[in-house]
Amino acid sequence: GARDDLDTFTRGLKGLDGQFTQKVYDAGGRLKETSSGEVALSAPRLFRWEYAKPYPQLIVADGKTVWIYDEDLEQVTRRPQGAEEQNSPLTALIDPSKLDRQFVVKEEGEKGGLSWLSLVPRDEGGASFRSARLAFGDAGLEKMIVVDAVGQRTEIGFSQWKRNPAFPASTFKYTPPKGVDVIGG
Amino acid sequence: CAVQPRREPLPPALEAAAQARQAEREAALRPVSDWSLEGRIAVSNDGKGGSGRIDWTQRGQAYAVSLSAPVTRQSWRLSAGPDGARLDGVEGGPRSGPDAQQLLLEATGWAIPVGALSDWVRGLRAETAGPARMEFGATGRLARLHQGGWVIDYVWPDAADASAGPVLPRRLDARRGEARVRLLVDTWTGHESLADGTAATPSQ
Repeated sequence: GARDDLDTFTRGLKGLDGQFTQKVYDAGGRLKETSSGEVALSAPRLFRWEYAKPYPQLIVADGKTVWIYDEDLEQVTRRPQGAEEQNSPLTALIDPSKLDRQFVVKEEGEKGGLSWLSLVPRDEGGASFRSARLAFGDAGLEKMIVVDAVGQRTEIGFSQWKRNPAFPASTFKYTPPKGVDVIGG
Repeated sequence: CAVQPRREPLPPALEAAAQARQAEREAALRPVSDWSLEGRIAVSNDGKGGSGRIDWTQRGQAYAVSLSAPVTRQSWRLSAGPDGARLDGVEGGPRSGPDAQQLLLEATGWAIPVGALSDWVRGLRAETAGPARMEFGATGRLARLHQGGWVIDYVWPDAADASAGPVLPRRLDARRGEARVRLLVDTWTGHESLADGTAATPSQ
């Protein structure tokens, strides 16, 4: 089932790099936004989301700080890396033992040619979402669906996974460009 | 950050024409009471703040603003009207109160003048924010609005791609002391009824 797919996918997994497409639906189910780009993850807590479409945006977690750079708005937001990242279903993938500690994990069987796992946060207050589901296919993790506290649903499709790639040192580092406002704690 | 450059005033005749056009524009836009926008917002206030996608839906006096953070799309939703405001999606559960701006500030630390913004975002003076002073650009469009202690700089789309409906701002940069709100509008909906461009601002 999906749990075995998860275990196979995460066995010996130290880092991941791949493409993603993200669709966001409002609580009424209306598609609000479609975006895409590249995602990189490295155990235990480094990640990089580089949106290319519809506009450039970069999110880098260097282990201490999460940097969000919105080029068009010429603003970098920085905040300490904390709970939100810890209990994100994706980062838990890199450390599957954390998955069970943080989520109630249930098999949801086969649907649409994929096998599904559901994750409900054990610590209701701390989690930034109500529920999440992971879908596995031949290429491993293919989909993540997250429903947040106001019922907004984010569907992220993954492709072209590279396992344990040799990341250049700069991948999980970020220095704000000159002339851009840097705000946040 | 950059101090806003002092703008030289337009020659009197152009100034008067621009003022008249702005009044005409406000008269055409105010009756359109159901509209919405989707875009991005960055808020900073004395070194604190954040950014994310913003959805704003206006229905007469009532409005709903939702903001989603990048990646996790963790979002909060502020709905407000004449009888008070409610904020959903923040830690500790829904909150409500008489003043939307205050409710948002207390819950998230974000200083967004939401009441006046529902007019400012369309390039209109806010009826609830007291006296306003306007500065117009060479093309006769509103370039900077001073109101309610805020100074708002406007960026308008190039006239060429102002397709259906009146010309509405592409970007706003509002400051008040340490507080700053940058709003970039990707999509406007609801003004299609003004398609004949009565409120369009002709550019020279």
